Amino acid sequence: MLIELKGVHKTYDNGQPLHVLKGIDLEIEKGEFVSIMGASGSGKSTLLNILGILDNYDEGEYHLAGKLIKNLSERESATYRNQMIGFVFQSFNLIGFKTAVENVELPLFYQGVNRHRRHEAAMAYLEKMGLTGWASHYPNEMSGGQKQRVAIARALITHPEIILADEPTGALDSKTSVEVMELLTRLNREDGVTIIVVTHESGVANCADKIVHIKDGLIERIEDNRQHHSSMFGTDTIMK
Amino acid sequence: MRHRFDFDTLREIGDSLFRNKRRTLLTGFGIFWGLFMLLFLIGGGQGLKQMLSKNFEGFATNTMVMVSANTSMPYKGMKEGRYWSLTQRDVERLKALVPEFDVVAPIVSNWGQTAYYKGNTASPSIKGIAGDYHKVEAPIIKYGRMISDADVEQERKVCVVGKRIYNDLFPQGGDPCGEYIQVGSVFLQVIGVDYSTGNISINGSSADALLVPFSVVAKLYQRGDKVDLICVTGKPGVKMSQMEDKIRSIMSREHIFDPTDEQALLLLNTEQIFSIVDNLFRGVNFLIWLVGIGTLLAGAVGVSNIMMVTVRERTVEIGIRRAIGAVPRDILSQIIWESVTLTLAAGSAGIVFSVLILNVVEAIAKHQAVFQISFWTAILAALLLSVLGVLAGLAPALRAMKVKPVDAMRDE
Ligand SMILES: Nc1ncnc2c1ncn2[C@@H]1O[C@H](COP(=O)(O)OP(=O)(O)OP(=O)(O)O)[C@@H](O)[C@H]1O
Ligand SMILES: [Mg+2]
Repeated sequence: MLIELKGVHKTYDNGQPLHVLKGIDLEIEKGEFVSIMGASGSGKSTLLNILGILDNYDEGEYHLAGKLIKNLSERESATYRNQMIGFVFQSFNLIGFKTAVENVELPLFYQGVNRHRRHEAAMAYLEKMGLTGWASHYPNEMSGGQKQRVAIARALITHPEIILADEPTGALDSKTSVEVMELLTRLNREDGVTIIVVTHESGVANCADKIVHIKDGLIERIEDNRQHHSSMFGTDTIMK
Repeated sequence: MRHRFDFDTLREIGDSLFRNKRRTLLTGFGIFWGLFMLLFLIGGGQGLKQMLSKNFEGFATNTMVMVSANTSMPYKGMKEGRYWSLTQRDVERLKALVPEFDVVAPIVSNWGQTAYYKGNTASPSIKGIAGDYHKVEAPIIKYGRMISDADVEQERKVCVVGKRIYNDLFPQGGDPCGEYIQVGSVFLQVIGVDYSTGNISINGSSADALLVPFSVVAKLYQRGDKVDLICVTGKPGVKMSQMEDKIRSIMSREHIFDPTDEQALLLLNTEQIFSIVDNLFRGVNFLIWLVGIGTLLAGAVGVSNIMMVTVRERTVEIGIRRAIGAVPRDILSQIIWESVTLTLAAGSAGIVFSVLILNVVEAIAKHQAVFQISFWTAILAALLLSVLGVLAGLAPALRAMKVKPVDAMRDE
């Protein structure tokens, strides 16, 4: 079991406490493609941040690859994030004053990989994303779809076992959304990367083999979607 | 995890600093200006002090001048207001009794004389001196030589002319040695020209002086063995101010006046003049450092402030870095290095600029004094800057360290 959550609770306390996650139990195997759906404010992003060790939780247990993720030192959690997990965000979260290739290199910079090898690896991933010609462009010179592909390249460069994506198509039109989802699907099928995607869009969720529905901080149901019949718009479309 | 400082770290710093050029420039300017002010003031103060010190040039720093005057107290049955005079015997006495003295040189002066040479005239002050007077007031001999002991002993009618007298009498220039000039009714042979122009000199400016063996002056103007002044210099390490009591007791015993009568014997001590100037410049230096360091600190606070704002603006960026593997220490060192780089770059520009400006000032002052700061002052300034840079970066860096990876998500 790659990911194992047991009774995870999370309360935000900014003035008045807000109980967001109220006991999440979730298991995800290596190589799965899971999407998380739910209404706005139901706690999807909160859950994903906990999965990515970006945030901590208050109660329960989270095992990642058998290791209990609790009270880790900054260094340990940074190492896990850096080596096991790749992040893809709705707003791309590229660093604006760095070029595409420099953005992709950055995780390797923090691993201490030397300049030359870093650059080569980054170029290889950009090529995989079909962005070779855009390597020395800055994010503000690229379209949303291109930026998201740069972000995916950055997520992949450390060979993570897991890709966590929070509404990766949220800022994209339907055509580029399809491209990005095809990319993630291919990564899952061909390279066996475990992929967890938070989304509002049923078409996006339909790419996944398993759909986790969250409601009010609890898992409402887990839908088996290996047939990819979830979207009423058909298997290969993403309706916006 | 990596914790080396290498080219990549440098590039990270450069990227961040160059991203907002205008802000970086404005921030750097505070440091640049602070350092420029500090070094410029230090150099300027030093140069001014040297220019002022020029006035004392050639004058032995531990010199005391004695002048007799009317007594102001009754003593041993004698009434106050009695006049007495220093004599040549006093010179011998002081030489014999006070081993701390290096030179004891009498002066016999005469004013209001006119000197003639081939239709040119000049109004020198005649200064009768001993052979060792050059140790009190160093001449700058342009031609010939100074008055010697032999000149004094043999009462030779010779003279050394000051710069202005030389210009008046010999407007065509050239070496005047051997020529005879007429002073009153006597002819004096020129044996030297003194070009010194120090403004502090005994009995008038040295440029206006006509130096003559004092034995000659005494005879010419019927002074007997009376002398006008006695100049004494102390041996190295001797404090002239501490010799005053001894001098007063010797002279009062000989000339019979109250040893506590300070008006009867005037003692002028150059040490006092120099210490006044020294104190003045100590004060000026203190101000310089106060203003300079103040400006510099203000610059550093500016850097700290702006970096603080920058860190807040960069919360998302820092969050992203944390999310993709940076540990807090990476962030800390990045911010501190940014601060150090900024202060060092701006400060170095300040050093270079102040060196250039001081060079210009020195040229304007016709190289009469050294305004340029020393190499070590510059090194010290650079060290000070690095420390300031670290300190300025500390608070922003600590704040940046507190940024959590989730902050990357909570964008804008
Ligand atoms: N850092 C925080 N501090 C306080 N409250 C927070 C914080 N982050 C999220 N919340 C609150 O927690 C609740 C769940 O937020 P979360 O972002 O997980 O929702 P979501 O399911 O991702 O919603 P959306 O679909 O709109 O992105 C919301 O009510 C939100 O306001
Ligand atoms: Mg969300």
